Amino acid sequence: MSISPLANPKGTKKLCELCEKPAHLQCTNCRVTFYCDAAHQQADWNSIHEKVCELLISVRTPAPFYCFQADRDFHHMQSLKRLEHITELSHAAAKSWVSVGKYSEAIPAAQLSLRCAIDIYGPDVVELVPAYLLLAEANIGLGSLSQAESCLSQAEWMVMKNPGCSQTVLHLLHRTLGRLYSATGDYSSALLHFANDVYYASEEFGLDSVVTAGGYFLMANVFVKQEKTDIANSLYSEVASTWHAHLSKLMESYSQKEHEGAQYFDVAHCAEVNRMLSVLLEAQQQDVNTHPAYSTTLAHSLGQRALLSHSLAMLWFLCNDHKKALDFGRKAAEFSQQCEHNSLAESIQSLIQQAETHLKPEQTPIIHH
Amino acid sequence: MASAVFPRQKTRFLPDINEKSPVKASLQRKEMKKPNRGSGERERIQTTTMNAGEIAQFRYSLHQNLCVSMLQEGFHRSFKEFFSLLQRWKADRLAAGPDSKLWLTHSLEEQPHKLEKLKEHLTRAEAAQRADQYVEVYESHLALAKFFSEPEDMWLRHHFYKLSLKAAREVKTDSSRREAEANAHLAHLYLERGDLELAQEHFEMFHHLAVGQSWQDESGHTHLFRSCESLCRVYTLLAQRQLQCREYLVAIQLLKQAYEMTKEAGDKKMEGEAAYRLGLAYQSMGNQTTAKQILNIFMEISTALGDMESLGKAYKAIAKSLESEGKISDAIEHLQKYLEVCQENNQHENLQDAYMCLGSIHISQAEYERSCEYFTQAFEMACSLDLKPCIQKAEVCLGIARAHSMLRAYTTHLQTNMPPNVCTLISWKETREDKFHEALRESAGFTHCS
Repeated sequence: MSISPLANPKGTKKLCELCEKPAHLQCTNCRVTFYCDAAHQQADWNSIHEKVCELLISVRTPAPFYCFQADRDFHHMQSLKRLEHITELSHAAAKSWVSVGKYSEAIPAAQLSLRCAIDIYGPDVVELVPAYLLLAEANIGLGSLSQAESCLSQAEWMVMKNPGCSQTVLHLLHRTLGRLYSATGDYSSALLHFANDVYYASEEFGLDSVVTAGGYFLMANVFVKQEKTDIANSLYSEVASTWHAHLSKLMESYSQKEHEGAQYFDVAHCAEVNRMLSVLLEAQQQDVNTHPAYSTTLAHSLGQRALLSHSLAMLWFLCNDHKKALDFGRKAAEFSQQCEHNSLAESIQSLIQQAETHLKPEQTPIIHH
Repeated sequence: MASAVFPRQKTRFLPDINEKSPVKASLQRKEMKKPNRGSGERERIQTTTMNAGEIAQFRYSLHQNLCVSMLQEGFHRSFKEFFSLLQRWKADRLAAGPDSKLWLTHSLEEQPHKLEKLKEHLTRAEAAQRADQYVEVYESHLALAKFFSEPEDMWLRHHFYKLSLKAAREVKTDSSRREAEANAHLAHLYLERGDLELAQEHFEMFHHLAVGQSWQDESGHTHLFRSCESLCRVYTLLAQRQLQCREYLVAIQLLKQAYEMTKEAGDKKMEGEAAYRLGLAYQSMGNQTTAKQILNIFMEISTALGDMESLGKAYKAIAKSLESEGKISDAIEHLQKYLEVCQENNQHENLQDAYMCLGSIHISQAEYERSCEYFTQAFEMACSLDLKPCIQKAEVCLGIARAHSMLRAYTTHLQTNMPPNVCTLISWKETREDKFHEALRESAGFTHCS
């Protein structure tokens, strides 16, 4: 529904949800969100508005008149709760957009989450940092680095003002900063920030956690860009072994619990891990192609490839994609047969068997039709 | 789009005086720029000299800075090592609780020079490892282990010796010399800590690697000699532990091994001592003939070396064996030899001991007069040397011997029960003079004759 800025009551400005220009459109459903043009409305709808449209009504309409303080307080509490809910919802949505790689879709959601967070907590508090970081990450993905930088400097400033903030926040901040600098090409700063990231992550989650491994992976990417392949390779193998250990543990708990129910990875997370492991695998393959001479490195890289394929197989198995699991499992078996001393063969075989048993009931109905 | 992100300003009635209007700001900038460009430049120089790294040095702890700088250069293994060591210390400390000694010691984080040393060597080791130069890896780990020489840092020393052993195993060019040395270091540490079994294991490895090689250490001894010496020590300690539990057979087995080691080392003195210990073990098990054989070896070695003290010890030990076999006269003969040896070489303490031994063997043969003599000498010797416990012991023994020697005469006096006897008894009881004891004997002899 279109509105005219001139027809607004005096003192109230209707601004676009995305760009803060004077609005010409209104969402007909909730009647509390405004847009400058149809493109922005469409973008917001796709990103987050569809999910929060109903919720926004109660938050954005002005409070009705209550006689009693108790009533007013109650209403205030209610709206705070709703705001929190919206924040969480939009944050999660933005996160999943980012991890899938659709950054332009992520931005409206991230903005909404940040705005709600500001409404709840006030302008300069640590609680806003994750929202800022998410927005920055989406901006980095889009390539609008100056925007990302401004978000990050806001976040950095907040962290600086609150010296006792948690390690998790610091770790996330440094990781995003590192991403920014590696995108701008300032590799030494990027390394500095990734180093800090790894430090905080290992303080918080331990040395062998997959969170720390994520930091290592990003560092390795920077080293690849700096063409220090030996360092990058040793980092890659570290990441690979960490993830392999983690996935094996998950597999074990899966087989102990007997059955599904528990979901180990959501789609976004699975895609992210898959991307990372594939990069590792590719790097190994390239390494072999570039240095075919050394027999020791060949054996090492075969072992690594077996490890990585096994990890991927386990990942797909846990994501209930048994066909892919089987493919990677066979690949892993192939690699592990080629290298001499393989401790993996047994677990790979058992994985292949499990995947096959899962595949059979899936295939049989197809045969019948 | 970015403007949408930041908090929406509520419109105010009056403009904010702190807010910079764009016109004002641009004016100010112009003013700033125009008058002195020099100062601006100076400022820029000042700001550029302070880079992020330097700021971090002031803001964060040394521990964090070292970690970050290691990671920044890509030394992630070093970081892992460093970080886990510090964490391990913390965990150990917490586990030990506030009552323990560990609670009061300084943590590594409070000792910056140690942290820096750690970083330096760890990064060097990792760089070398990346280039497959395990010799340098080994050396830097060894340097770290040697650096942590204080007793409170023993766990670090242990850790780095282990790492150096691991690195040494990778070195292929030196026919395992470094591996042997690393084993030796680790074994010495275990020995210091009292883990005899582990020490034994590593010393055996050291010995195994050193056999047939002519490696030497700084003091000029061969590694083989060193390994034999250390193994002998470990076996002896293990055997002593077994002896305390009265597991004689096991102990003897160990002592035999120790003896073999000393033979291999080729050091006669050590061989003799090992033989002596083995002999004593046989003795305490009751196998006197074997004990004597082995002690004779010890004796021969001692005479060959001219080591009189050991010779004395040998005589004494053999005498003990003979005594428990019942060959008293032979035992006394050996003890006499012991005495002679001591007298010849002015070993006063051993001399005193020899007198005591002779005294006791005579007292066991009911030759109280003789034993009295020896004990008196022992007592005098002890007095001149001022050895309190020996003086007391000699006093008591002498007293017992005297009492025994008087007992027969005394009882005959009592049994005859004649007035002169009674008189002598009474007068003796009054005076208790030493001389009386001979008179008593004479009179006793007299009464016997009559």
